[in-house]
Amino acid sequence: MGGKLKPVSEVVGSIPSGSHLALGGFAIARNSIVVVHELIRQRKENLTISQGIGGLDTDLLVGAGLVTHLIMGGGSLDRFGPIHCVNRARETKSLRFEDYTSLSICFRYLAGALGLSFMPIKSLFASEMLERLEAGDGPNDVRRFECPFTGEEYVLLRALTPDVSFVHVQIADEEGNCQIRGPQWENEEQAKAGRRVIVVAEEIVTTDYIRRSPELTVIPGHRVEAVIHQPFGAVPTAVFGCYDYDAEHLRAYVDHAREPNRFKDYLNKFVFDCRDHWQYLEKLGGLRKQEELKADRVLGY
Amino acid sequence: MPATEEIKARDGERKILATEIMVVAGARELHDGEVAIVGLGLPEMAAALAKRTHAPRLSTLYEIGVMNSTPKDTPVGLADSRTFYRATCWSSFLDVMGMNLHRGVVDAGFLGALEIDRYGNVNTTLLKEGSGKIRYVNGSAGGNDVASLAKRVIVIMRHEKRKLPLAVAYLTSPGFANGRSREELHLRGGGPSRVITDKAVLGFDAKTHSMSLLSLHPGIRLEELTENTGFPLQVPEVIPVTPVPTAGELRVLREEIDPKGVYLR
Repeated sequence: MGGKLKPVSEVVGSIPSGSHLALGGFAIARNSIVVVHELIRQRKENLTISQGIGGLDTDLLVGAGLVTHLIMGGGSLDRFGPIHCVNRARETKSLRFEDYTSLSICFRYLAGALGLSFMPIKSLFASEMLERLEAGDGPNDVRRFECPFTGEEYVLLRALTPDVSFVHVQIADEEGNCQIRGPQWENEEQAKAGRRVIVVAEEIVTTDYIRRSPELTVIPGHRVEAVIHQPFGAVPTAVFGCYDYDAEHLRAYVDHAREPNRFKDYLNKFVFDCRDHWQYLEKLGGLRKQEELKADRVLGY
Repeated sequence: MPATEEIKARDGERKILATEIMVVAGARELHDGEVAIVGLGLPEMAAALAKRTHAPRLSTLYEIGVMNSTPKDTPVGLADSRTFYRATCWSSFLDVMGMNLHRGVVDAGFLGALEIDRYGNVNTTLLKEGSGKIRYVNGSAGGNDVASLAKRVIVIMRHEKRKLPLAVAYLTSPGFANGRSREELHLRGGGPSRVITDKAVLGFDAKTHSMSLLSLHPGIRLEELTENTGFPLQVPEVIPVTPVPTAGELRVLREEIDPKGVYLR
């Protein structure tokens, strides 16, 4: 393997238990399932996970019992259902949960990405999220503050600087220069706030190809520590321009995640009993299924 | 959603659905040239209808980082690639929620709600069951940001007593919390302006900030509304009837915007 290309097992092996990981998925889009499955197989425990909008990625890690601290703006599997494992963990208080909004998570990453220690925001006022954060869920992460210039009241959000940020992209070169097609939610801030940045790419292209449209490069190679190449690495979630979500599998997932025991069956079948992502893809229907999900070039899904 | 009783369309055939009345009422809240943050489902339908009728220059923003898309197939959520189709801009949270919403240029924001109370506070975080057991759901996502920062907020939801309690079980997105003004709450956005349900269009009293009845949908009686509301509503002496969708609006909705009846049912 040339450049920064590394197998997922090696990258995940380099992450200590207890790390703060920032995940780049959004509900049912661009979840790095290949990384999440490997984290579960290698039993990386005591994780702190931060994310704008949680999806299947975070739900799997929480369901597998690896997460002790969750910092999130919200989450769901869209119309397929809620993130049952995360919601159940909140109900049983089995993890510390810092409840934010989309923009406040984005601002916390932005502060981290800019090397600032905090960012002011005009959201969160008069909400129960702020009340609970101040009361004990995150008392060192929020402060009320009066602007010294205008006298206006702000909530100050402490910067997030995850130990490792993962971003799932359509294309990257071996140096980690990567391009995202479609909307980017908070991926740029989330990646650049990270102390280590890992890119998971559906396709590896040459640097010459990146040079054809450098305006599309979101994360430059010099910020990237490693590149994991895994086609269909986000299945059953969607990657715009590459493939659609696997509706059948998402429905099956939600059905299993509703019950802790059935969730265990799911993990055994689709994670522990799979040697690697290729075997997982075979279980989901292999090439025939991938062909069905492959995006139409005009529609992008 | 149940159809309102015995309403006949002006074309004399298909019954007008409550969802169609809601979408039309939502569309009429949007003006040409405005900027709106919309979510999927009925808000999206309302914005699409407004664009195709009286507000062709309405800008529609989606928090994920998409502007003015025109989905061809029905998306299952914001993260569905179908939501990205034929957009005029793909950007990010930081752009849509930061440099537009937080910047103060978003005129209207739509919200859905598990619960809304008399002061327009919205809960999208948890449900308290009769036994006292708490069930968590999706949380804020961009909801609190929109409620805090949009110039005005339009809530679209089903009208049931448990969904309109005196006080929400969890205050995710603030309206006029404790009946206080937005300035007192340190919020820049104007707060909730309309609540559009399958029974009525509601607003908020300028002085008391308490929810008030603006119009009842055709065929809905006042008692039916008050019985299904968990707090006293301010009611005008003469109660207007929500305008029935025009034949033109119905045609656009049924033939162009949701021909398969995914949301309009």
